[in-house]
Amino acid sequence: MVKLVLASPIAVATQGEREIDLEFEGTLAQLFEVVSGRYGRQFHQRIFDGDGRLKRFVNVYVNGEDARYIKGLETPIPRDATVDLLPAIAGGWGVP
Amino acid sequence: MGYVRGLRCRECGAEYPPAQRIVCDACFGPLEVAYEIDAVREAFRREALATRSADLWRYRELLPVFDESSKVDLRPGFTPLRRAGNLAEALGLRDVWVKDDTVNPTYSFKDRPVAVAIAKAREWNLAAVGCASTGNLAAATAAAAAKARLPCYVFAPASLEPGKLLLPRIYGATVVPIDGTYDEANRVALLAADRRGWGFVNINLRPYYAEGSKTLLFETWEQLGFDLPDVIVTPLGSGLLLTSLEKGIRELRELGELSGDETRLVGTQASGCAPIVRGFEAPDGRLRPVKRPETIAESLAIGDPGSGSEAIQAMRTTHGFADAPSDAEILEGQRLLAQTEGVFAEPAGGTTVATLRRAREDGRIDRSERVVLLVTGNGLKAPGVWRETFPPLTPVPPTPAAVDAFLGGTGDG
Repeated sequence: MVKLVLASPIAVATQGEREIDLEFEGTLAQLFEVVSGRYGRQFHQRIFDGDGRLKRFVNVYVNGEDARYIKGLETPIPRDATVDLLPAIAGGWGVP
Repeated sequence: MGYVRGLRCRECGAEYPPAQRIVCDACFGPLEVAYEIDAVREAFRREALATRSADLWRYRELLPVFDESSKVDLRPGFTPLRRAGNLAEALGLRDVWVKDDTVNPTYSFKDRPVAVAIAKAREWNLAAVGCASTGNLAAATAAAAAKARLPCYVFAPASLEPGKLLLPRIYGATVVPIDGTYDEANRVALLAADRRGWGFVNINLRPYYAEGSKTLLFETWEQLGFDLPDVIVTPLGSGLLLTSLEKGIRELRELGELSGDETRLVGTQASGCAPIVRGFEAPDGRLRPVKRPETIAESLAIGDPGSGSEAIQAMRTTHGFADAPSDAEILEGQRLLAQTEGVFAEPAGGTTVATLRRAREDGRIDRSERVVLLVTGNGLKAPGVWRETFPPLTPVPPTPAAVDAFLGGTGDG
């Protein structure tokens, strides 16, 4: 079971849900597509910018590791991973 | 609500009531406090400022605290602005000043933002406060929390200088020593505060916290006879201080208090951790995060700075620049400041001196310019960096002959 954890300021994208369990295995990009399917297009619009990149104000960590330092949106998400979505006061997405 | 109009998104301009909110709902951009500038203009008068208390609350119309009784009375701010003639001479400059924040209640500028953030935590009756820290903020938050009788939780890298981990404990805080970098401490601190509803000053109280830092700018302006210098050189950690300075300049301008040339904001980081400087230098202006910072300037060792993008923007709009001296240059900057001006700064302060020297040598700062260096932390907090330069002394026997031998002469001419 993948656990998606959203800090409360980001949870506005998931109608207030801060912890979401999902049967999933794939890439980070695919995970976000699955979540978009559940919470609607507005989830995608809030997390991504107009160029399809993650907004620089949102940070993503996979099992505590900043996804930027792994493979970005192509980071593999194992079936028991914890994925944190935090506002960029813990830093910001600097490089595309 | 005093003079506060609300919170405004720095990215999209959306406005919100001044509640406990840290990012914009619409775009997740950072928020800043907006004021009713016309009302502020009526009360924020030069002659009135002169009669006020010698601390940061003298700029109260531009600080977002509504309830006077929520303020913690450690009285940070209104620190000396020292004319640094000896340093100027050593560097071939004419007009250099040191804004000396080594003398704040816990010996760094962090007492300023903490004063505002803790007041907000009390206004909102939060059960506990805390922070993620590279050291200085830990002590500032813990001291203010002690005075406010609030439990305090400090998340910091376990590898910090021992003194920086000791101070917050003496003030009564619980230190959570994270086996990792500052950025890792910051991430788990954010999650811990979010789950428990605690107020972490530089995380979920950040828009208010930022306001305290800009008082460094207001004081510089007042202490220079209501004038700003040509250049301000400031260290960059998260980038929030420089961002706050730019906000202070904007507010003084909106109040009609500034005329003449603009002040260039110059930011400096150690070359071993320069995500903002490298972003400033890049054509796209985007941060270049550093996974493992390597520098003696540990108070600046933030690899993924939360306000870095805003700081890059502020340096660009004020026609300033960014610079990253080496650790050796930083140490030399500390030594020079101590031995010319009698001010002992931690490495962050040495970083500003090193950048001033480099910029004077390559022409980025002109000899004729008036420069203010922000010295934001006390050198006694980071003594470990001097172990190699100043090895332990060998005791001298208490005899005249031994003293003569030590001094290399008898003193008889």
